[in-house]
Amino acid sequence: MRNKRLSTVASFLLIIALLAGCSSNSASSGTDKGADTAASGKKKVEIALWLTPQWKGVFDATEADADYDSFFKYAADKFAKQYDKYDVKVNVQVVAGDQRDELLNVNLNGGTPPDVFFESAFAMGDYAHRGALVPLNDIVDDAAKKDIDQGYWDNVTYGKDIYFYPFSHNPGTFAYNADMLKAAGLESFVGGDNEIKTWTMDEYNQILKGLKENLPKDKYPNAYPMALYALNNQGDTWNLAYLRMFGSKFFDDQGNIAIADEKGIQAAQWLKDIYKAGYTNPGAESVSSNDANAMFQNQQLAISFTNAILFNNAKADMNAGKSPKFDIRLANIPSISGDPLTFTYVVGASVFKSSDATKTEVAKDFVKFFSSDPELVKASKNSIPVRSSVVAELKSQYPLFSAYDANAPHMFSFTGNVPGYSELRQVLYPELQAIYVGEKTPEQAMKDYQTKGNSVIQKARESSVLK
Amino acid sequence: MQPVNLPKKRELYDVFANILVCVFAVANLFPLYWLFTSSLKNSSDVIKMPPDWWPRTFTFANYTEVFRNQPALRWTFNSLYVAGLTTLLVVIASAMAAYAFSKLRFKGRNVIFIVFVSSMMVPKEVMIVPLFRITQDLGLVNSVYGMIWPNVAIAFGVFLLKGFFDSAPDALREAARIDGAGEVRTFLQILLPIVKPGIGALFILNFVQVWNDYLWQLVVGQEKESKTLMVGIATLMQDLNPNFAYKMAGATVAAVPMLLIFILFQGYFTRGISIGAVKE
Repeated sequence: MRNKRLSTVASFLLIIALLAGCSSNSASSGTDKGADTAASGKKKVEIALWLTPQWKGVFDATEADADYDSFFKYAADKFAKQYDKYDVKVNVQVVAGDQRDELLNVNLNGGTPPDVFFESAFAMGDYAHRGALVPLNDIVDDAAKKDIDQGYWDNVTYGKDIYFYPFSHNPGTFAYNADMLKAAGLESFVGGDNEIKTWTMDEYNQILKGLKENLPKDKYPNAYPMALYALNNQGDTWNLAYLRMFGSKFFDDQGNIAIADEKGIQAAQWLKDIYKAGYTNPGAESVSSNDANAMFQNQQLAISFTNAILFNNAKADMNAGKSPKFDIRLANIPSISGDPLTFTYVVGASVFKSSDATKTEVAKDFVKFFSSDPELVKASKNSIPVRSSVVAELKSQYPLFSAYDANAPHMFSFTGNVPGYSELRQVLYPELQAIYVGEKTPEQAMKDYQTKGNSVIQKARESSVLK
Repeated sequence: MQPVNLPKKRELYDVFANILVCVFAVANLFPLYWLFTSSLKNSSDVIKMPPDWWPRTFTFANYTEVFRNQPALRWTFNSLYVAGLTTLLVVIASAMAAYAFSKLRFKGRNVIFIVFVSSMMVPKEVMIVPLFRITQDLGLVNSVYGMIWPNVAIAFGVFLLKGFFDSAPDALREAARIDGAGEVRTFLQILLPIVKPGIGALFILNFVQVWNDYLWQLVVGQEKESKTLMVGIATLMQDLNPNFAYKMAGATVAAVPMLLIFILFQGYFTRGISIGAVKE
């Protein structure tokens, strides 16, 4: 009996051990695969590409089985077929925006970052400051420099080096529901189909008031004029823009935050006033930009934030019957000067440092390939192409390209190119929450944000490898 | 004479207390009810005002979409496998260690136990980078075993079960030994049945803890197919999808297995959290 028991326990432990042993065969990180030799005789190399959700499909969201990784899977296949140096496999992985830094930091510390990361340059700038990325100067040729405006190169240049290969850009504006504005008797404020309408601050306040008071409740029950959110750092660039509405420069000439001035506090006060007046969705402190976007698409909000990709996705969702159809149009974020406030995200690929020189070489070649291949760069139409050749070819099909172009002179750099920007983002939303829940006055919140933010910038400046 | 009114007062108090408990119970259960019923509605019905308290049209399309667009079945399997196997291994390792700390006499026993238990004070987040490096070196990233093994050696299980073994009289072990039982037989046949309630409590508490071990599972299960349900559903919530009902369906899929396990093992769960509350 005793032996029987013992053998049962031993068998169980053996099964467990065998199971665990098998696991190492199935384990594959996708980030640490080395080189081997394939049957073709070419050396086999696997690299990992991570991206945050950008556009669905290879070229268009209407394609069958369109997903966020479709483009890169297609590009990887095309690259592998024509690449003569190595037998390449690219493992594509989509990571959620709010999981990006956790995953990257653990993998960086573990020595296994992805080889390529495709993302908005502003969100990745800190990794350049930390010395985790390799410069891409050697894969940028004269043809690319000529085709892509210098402004975009400036956006991806840290110190003396280029760290991101610009693919597209993603201008941030408002999107509004023209049907709701018309229903509230605000037809005169509605812009053209292919226009990015610019309102003055007075006009914008009138629109919010008009929507609040005159929007028919039977047709739009439970609807609010404007989206406001502060749950986390997602979509915070629009919040940064709102804080500039009354003329604050936000950063001083030394690259420090200077928002606790009269104009900055006035902007924060305006946010609190429209929130209290019911011109926005309630509970802004616990609403995320994703929630706000979904509320807008479900006609619970008349005006919301958007960028070129979100705008196209919203139209695609309407056409696919995933959300109610309405007349969606674009407007600029207004300012007290009357000039529009506009900004853009330059989206592109960066290459992480690796101890394996072959992988770095292949990663750079792949980045150059999909960022310059004449067919693949056309996918940048899902936001706005950075290449003038692509804009010239497609602008007749996409009239909004010209409207975005007209906005360019009014662009501001929302990052100020300061080090520590990612951490800086963690400081803003708690202060906005404090304003909305009444824990702090707008003045106190802006002072606290300035103090905490400048401390973050100072620390990051001291530890930056870029001088 | 006042005492005559006491039963009536007591009755009134009971009625009031029960009403209060019911109100709190409804308040606690309402979000779950709303989550589940919303997942069966069309997206536009979720945000309707005044709301439909009960779905007018039932649709399982949101669930179909969750399982068609995402490998949700794989995630569910991964979660059940990780939580189940981890817990089984924790119970085996903890029971043996707790037995040793409680019943065996060896040099430095108390010191080792204190060192062991003090590891409970170190949050896992502090160790996540070195733990990840070890897991990486063992080739266990993107494998369910990378989520399992680092969770097996936990001091909490030993601490919990040692208390149960301590309450079993030493005389039982001595009697078994006199009757000719060896150490393994004494452990398996005499003392283990006595600590069964503790093992039940440890099983359910550890299962819940592993099921919700979001951060570790996020960093180990990086590929889509190797994610667990909690991580996968959290990723789905980030999707820019305007269909609220779809997200509600995703959240329901994540919540239901844990609810079922709680209902099945409710007795053990309540016993587990009330351990030490009553001195016997």
